[in-house]
Formats: sequence, structure tokens, C-alpha cells
Amino acid sequence: MRHDESLYHRYHIETRDAPDIEAWPPRFQVKVRRHRLAWLLLKEIFHYGPAKKEVILSRPCVYGVFSGPIGGFAPRPHLCVGCLRCTTQYPDVVQIVPNPERQKLGDSYFTAHYVNTVAYEAATGRVPVRGAGYRGRFGGQGWDGMWTDMSEIVRPTRDGIHGREYISTMVDIGVRPDHLAFGPDGQPVEPPRVFGVPLPLLFDRLPQVEANPALTRILAAAAREIDTLALLPVAALAHLAEPTPHIVPVVRATETVPRLPFAPRMVELDGWDPAAYQRLQQAFPQSIVALRLPFGDRPTLAAAFAAGVRVFHLTADYHGQLPDGRFVMDGIREAHLFFVEKGLRDAVTLLGSGGIIAAEHVPKAIILGLDAVAIDTPLLVALQARFAGEFRRPGDAYRLPKRLPEGWGVQRLKNLAASWRDQLLEVLGAMGLRDVRRLRGEMGRAMFQKDLEREAFGEIEGYLEQTATSGEPTAASREPMAVR
Amino acid sequence: MNMLHLIVEKHTLALEAGRRMWASLKYGLPPALGDARWPAELILATWEAARTGHYPEHLEYRYGQSNGGFDRLHFKFLPESQWLPADAAIDLSLPLNRRFPDDPQITIDVPWYGGGMSFGSVSEQVMVSRARAAQRWNTFTSTGEGGYPPGLVPYKDHVITQIATGMFGVREETIQYARIVEFKYAQGAKPGLGGHLLGDKATVAVAKMRESVPWVSLFSPFPFHSVYSVEDHRKHVDWVRTINPRALVSVKVSTPTDVDMVAVGSFYAGAHIVHIDGSYGGTGAAPEVAKKIIAMPIELAIPKVHKFLLKEGIRDQITIMASGGIRNADDIAKIIALGADGAVLGTADLVALGCTRCSNCERGRGCPFGLTTTDPELSLLIEPDRDAARISNLYNAMAERLREILRRLGLRSVRELRGRTDLLVYR
Repeated sequence: MRHDESLYHRYHIETRDAPDIEAWPPRFQVKVRRHRLAWLLLKEIFHYGPAKKEVILSRPCVYGVFSGPIGGFAPRPHLCVGCLRCTTQYPDVVQIVPNPERQKLGDSYFTAHYVNTVAYEAATGRVPVRGAGYRGRFGGQGWDGMWTDMSEIVRPTRDGIHGREYISTMVDIGVRPDHLAFGPDGQPVEPPRVFGVPLPLLFDRLPQVEANPALTRILAAAAREIDTLALLPVAALAHLAEPTPHIVPVVRATETVPRLPFAPRMVELDGWDPAAYQRLQQAFPQSIVALRLPFGDRPTLAAAFAAGVRVFHLTADYHGQLPDGRFVMDGIREAHLFFVEKGLRDAVTLLGSGGIIAAEHVPKAIILGLDAVAIDTPLLVALQARFAGEFRRPGDAYRLPKRLPEGWGVQRLKNLAASWRDQLLEVLGAMGLRDVRRLRGEMGRAMFQKDLEREAFGEIEGYLEQTATSGEPTAASREPMAVR
Repeated sequence: MNMLHLIVEKHTLALEAGRRMWASLKYGLPPALGDARWPAELILATWEAARTGHYPEHLEYRYGQSNGGFDRLHFKFLPESQWLPADAAIDLSLPLNRRFPDDPQITIDVPWYGGGMSFGSVSEQVMVSRARAAQRWNTFTSTGEGGYPPGLVPYKDHVITQIATGMFGVREETIQYARIVEFKYAQGAKPGLGGHLLGDKATVAVAKMRESVPWVSLFSPFPFHSVYSVEDHRKHVDWVRTINPRALVSVKVSTPTDVDMVAVGSFYAGAHIVHIDGSYGGTGAAPEVAKKIIAMPIELAIPKVHKFLLKEGIRDQITIMASGGIRNADDIAKIIALGADGAVLGTADLVALGCTRCSNCERGRGCPFGLTTTDPELSLLIEPDRDAARISNLYNAMAERLREILRRLGLRSVRELRGRTDLLVYR
């Protein structure tokens, strides 16, 4: 059937299984005491008699860990899901232990728990669904100290994510005058220069990408297929046979303005330099020129706005830390309120990066004031990158799988984007919102642990706000305390 | 005895022995058991309480390690000289109808009842085990949204019929069975998202009960498509009371930022009970993102509701039941001190039956312990004659501990504890 552009098409990301290309250590170690197992079998043979082979060989595991040719004598730990049935039943024979090698994946911020989650999302494209209740700590620092609202009955989406009505995740990026003025010819004097991206999720410039043609091509192709933007340094563009408008060249102020064989929708200037900004505007009159700068730099924000910048891409390090030590959430809120207080919020687009490593962080970042996020380390983890120690800054080391097939990589990123978008839909659906643009800066849609605790526990002896939610100094969302 | 029964017997005996062995700490704590909310010791203590009827002294059964909420709240016990005598009569009973004298006066003997777990999310054996324990303790359990298996009918005086948004298995007779009918607007673990039974668990029996197609995932939509307002909700209440004028009406809601207004709305719609389900509650399957970030924990919601209802002057006319991560007697006492009248238990019942909180409820054939599954073989691991006693034993341990808490606080009735935040310390 021919694709008819004139017809309405609901935005959809095609997901397909893209299993791990590199074997990661299994989540659990299955430690069997073989002599005890042999003793158990002998006891059962004696007890039931050899005729009851079916009873004797009946295994506790329903996932096949002990269903290899010699059963428990050669268990298959990669099949273990940690249900603990075997060890509950035979503690003297088998023990299930969280695999320390698996726990080493990621780093102190992008913990093994988040690595597992992103890997699952990238492999399947699905929303992680599990049974039992929440297993983690009570709230916490940073992202974890914030919950999102829901509505019991007010429900513009009625049938929600599973039904007929549509929740839009489209966001606008660009330059918008606060009102339209019309010339004598009846045409707007300064029409809005805005383009839409169907999900508030861009691919940020990845460290060392210019040295990796395969990675560059994966990012570009995935961005094109899901119709988002991939930010790439100019040096990486040479790896692309056919650059498309989905590529956003990131240009340093000191770099010469590149000649490009395509018209990007957006160009990003890395660091504020008024002259460089002018040069980029002249070189790319059809493109939006965005400015990339760290969170927390209000004077530069003001100066750049005065010079005409309307799209800001604000960054923290990969652990969400700002240069002044605050967490990215503070930076987002500050930037958002900076423009709100000046009555200019609708005139600008705020993009943000750094420390956004889970699907749940996207709606939270938008509630705090971003229009869209540009993700970084989750892209690497989705492609099974392993960090060499702490991965905080672009210069820190990581290792991708030796073989990085383009089709596999593109599908992993598409799956990740689909899963995160679906989770965003879950959150929007619960609130009864049908447009992600309505979520921006809607802090009334958030509940902050500090505020709720003050209200609930304020009169209880010993409650001190400053200690109640204190924990580790890292502002990262913590993984469930124990093992998984 | 046929082969299948021998296999079931082999495994159930081994499970029983294994749980006992782990609880003795002979092998230390199971390295992969537990999480912040239900640490290994708390799970083992619950298993042991389910076996013996008493909480074990050698295991920490009072707190989790979540670093917040219940786990940072402690009781301000009186000096020992002021405790009530060990044999003092302490009343744990809770009246559920506090507003309409002409409606049935239902009083439960302990300030908790069992929350809804649908047929499909759990087996009929689990439902019957819970119902028997409820009968033994003169309290209730709830059908959840999945119909009313025939095995529950003998216990109908202790079974709440739940009406949820998918209306699965809701029939005139199941509403007429009930002394309490519960409208489920939302569930704490997946607030605003409706219900979800994965296809693997929609077996032929489950599908028949729900009048659906086997092996096809079932979604309970969110919300009630006939309710846009308090007035619409009132209409629902009237409808139920027309079918069964003797039933008390409970409304189960989650914990949005305006949970206090929701409670007031439910009151004005005519509910006898408002059941507030916090975000850390259990589920057979829910998106992880929903469990973690949507809506607020119960410890933060109840004080908000309690204070608002007090301000409105209607607090004494409505029963507030709290759920969503209530694990033991200490949590029950704390949530009552924060302002609830009683608590609703779910996961604790399952842990009593052997749950390890492994979170694989939804995977493949379902729970490998026979709890959250309708797999015809796995579900045989639960046997109501034996396993009702495990839940009942846990309830005994809880009642004992709750009485002990009240005794040390100098209170003769659990009703005196409600809203007594002055008896709590945060550390």
C-alpha cells in the first residue's frame, strides 16, 4: 500500500527485539553444593523408589535453570530471574547470590539497576512491567524526591493510552514572537520559526563520537527513523554518506563555520560568543541557531537572549552536577523561572542534558521547566557501552562492543526511545493530560517529598526537614537498596 | 496418591522446611532476598510469624530499610512503670459504618482487612485461604476485579465485592452477596492507569470468570467511563444500594496531590469507607515507572486527609482505611497514629504464604510459589486448609504486637490511637 502523506498518521516508533550483542554477566550466581545435591537425589530415590522418576526429577525451578542435561550439577545462571524458589526450598543445596560482576556495570550514578533497565528497554522496546510493589527507598535525593500527580476522575483522555484518543508528545523548538504583527500585505512581519519534534527526546552529542563512524551513523539513522534530532560535532559529519535535516551540527565558537551539503533544522553553538553566533546565523539562514551552555549561568543566558538567541541547550555533567555543585533539577528550575519572571518563557525553547538516565526523569525534567531533553549516557548504555570507572565528563573512558552493526544499533535506540515515550504516555495518561506541551513547568503536577513531609510530619517530634530527606550527597536517583 | 500429588507434596514439604531453616539463620540471611521496603529479615520474620503465630524475637520484624516513612517513625512509649498491665483488655475492634445508623453496623475484630486481589492475578486457592483467615478473625478480604469464584461463596460474609473500571465478573448476585461493596477508582501501584492482566495469566478459567477471551491481555480502563464528577459517583453508590440496600459502600482511591478533596468528594457521594491506597502498594503487574513516581506514599497522604476531614467537621462520620506498603503491626499502628482508622493488607498476606517479593508475578506461568498464578500445577502449591492457617497465624502475631504497642502507649483501644502524632517520634 502506498504511503499517502495527505492522510493523518499517528506517530509510532516501530519496535523489534534487539537482544544484547555482547554477553553481560548474568544477574545472579547459582551456587550448588554438588555433593549435597547428590545426597538429596539418593535420599529421594530411596524414599520414592526408582519407579517414581518423575517425582525425583521434578525440579523447583520453573525457568529452566536446572533443566540442562545434568540438571543442578550444571545450572544455567543466565536463566535465573531471582525468584529464589530453589534456595527457599533447599537452602542447604543451592544459594542464589547477586552477581558482583553484574553489579559493576555502570558507575556510581548510572548504577547497575539503571543499566539493567535501559538494557531491557533497548533490547525489547517495552515498558518495564513487573509484579509486586515498589522495592526501592522512600523517596530520596534528587529525582527521587519528586513524585508526579494523577487524577482520579478528571480525564480528558478517557480511554487513555490504550484507547482511541491520542496523547501528543510533540514539542516545538524554535523562535516564536510573543504576538504576531502583520504588514500592509496582510502577512506576518515576523512569522514564527518553529519546527516540531514528535517526542521530547533528542540525542545529545556523545563523547568521542567523531572517532567512531559506526556510532555516528547509528545516531543519525535512528534520529531520522524516529524523526528526532541527533546532535553531532562537525568532525563527525564526514562519517555520514547522506546527512539529513535530523542532524544538528554542534559548532564550537573557535571552529570555522562548516560548509554542509544539507540544510539542518538546527545548528548548535557550543559556548557563548556573539560574533560566532552572528556568523552561524548568516551561514544558516534557514536554520534555528541554538546555544549550548552549562546550567546556572544566568548572566550569559540574559546576554544571549538579548542578542537574539531563543533556543538554549543547557547542560550538566553526566551525573547531573552543575559547575557550582548543584543538581540538574535546580538548574532546570532556575532557567525556567528566569524566563518566567521576565515574562519571556514562551519566547524561548529550553533543552536540557546531563543526569537524565531513566524514562521517569523525562516528565520530571519537563515539569521542572524543560521543553525537551537531549539524552546522552543512556544512548551509550543502550548500545551496551561499559564505563571504565566513573563516567562523568566527555573525556572519561568507555568501551562499546567491538562489533557495532548499524541495524542493531539503530533498533536499540529506537526501542529505547519507544519505551521512554510509552512511559511518558503512562505518566501523562495518569494525569489526564493529552499534550506533553501542557506539562512544561507545571510544578503543580509534581509533589516534592520535602513539601509533603513538612505537611505530614512537621508536628512530629524529631522531624527536621533538613535531615529528613538527607542521604548520600550524590543527587542521583538511587536504585532499590538491595540486590536487583 | 497420583504422581502430581506426590510432586506437589514433595515441593510443599521442602518449601516449609526451607523457610523454617532460613528463618533460623542457620545459613545466615539469603543473599538475594529482600529489598529496601521488605528486607530479608522482615520477610523471614513474617514467614516465621505465619508458622508460629508470633513474631520471632531474633529477627527485625518492625522496620524496613527504606530510609523514610514508616521506617523513620518510632513510638514514644511510656516509661515501663506506666504501661498497662500485661493482661489488660485492649480493644482492637473497628466499626466500619460511622455515618448512617439505619445501615448495617459492621464491626471488625481487628483494625485491618485484606485488599483486593483478583482471580487471575492470584489463584482461587489464595483467595479462599485469605477468605478463611478473614472469617477466622471476623474481618474481610476483597475479590479484586476478576469475578467471584464459587469457592468464595461460603465465605461471602467476609468478602468484599469489588467493582472496578473493567466491571469484570460484576454481577447482580455478587453485589448481593456482599456486606461491603468497594468501588475501585484507582490502585496505588498504578494510579491512573487502570488494571492490566497479562495474556499468559488469562487462562480459560480466568477468561470464563471475566467473560473474556482466553490468553488475551485484559485492560481495565481508567477511569470509570460513567463518572466525571462527585454527582456521577453518587449515582454509582445509589445503583449499588438499589441492588443491595444492606451493603456498606467503600471507595478505593489513590493518592494524588488533592487526595484530601477526593476523600471529601467520596464522603459527599455517600461512602461509608474511603480506602486510600498509597503509591508503594503491591500489584500483580504494573509499569515500574508508575510504582515509583506516580502519586504519593500512604504515610504522606493519610495525615493530609485526616487533617482536612477534621477541618471539614466530618472526620468522625467516615472510616478511613489505608493501604500501600503496610507490612506489619507496627506499620498499622503508625498509619492509625497518622490519622487512618485502619489498614488494608495485601503483600503481607502473600508473604505469609511464602512470597519472596521477587517481582516475577507476571512472568510466564506466574508465581513459582503458586501465589500470583492460575497455572493449574503451580497453584496447587497453595492449599487453603493449610495456608489459611498461615495467614491467620500472621494476623495473630500482628494482633499481639498491636496490643503490645497500645499497652506501652497506655491506650485501651486502637480507636484512641487515631491521629495521635504526638505519640510518634521521627528519627
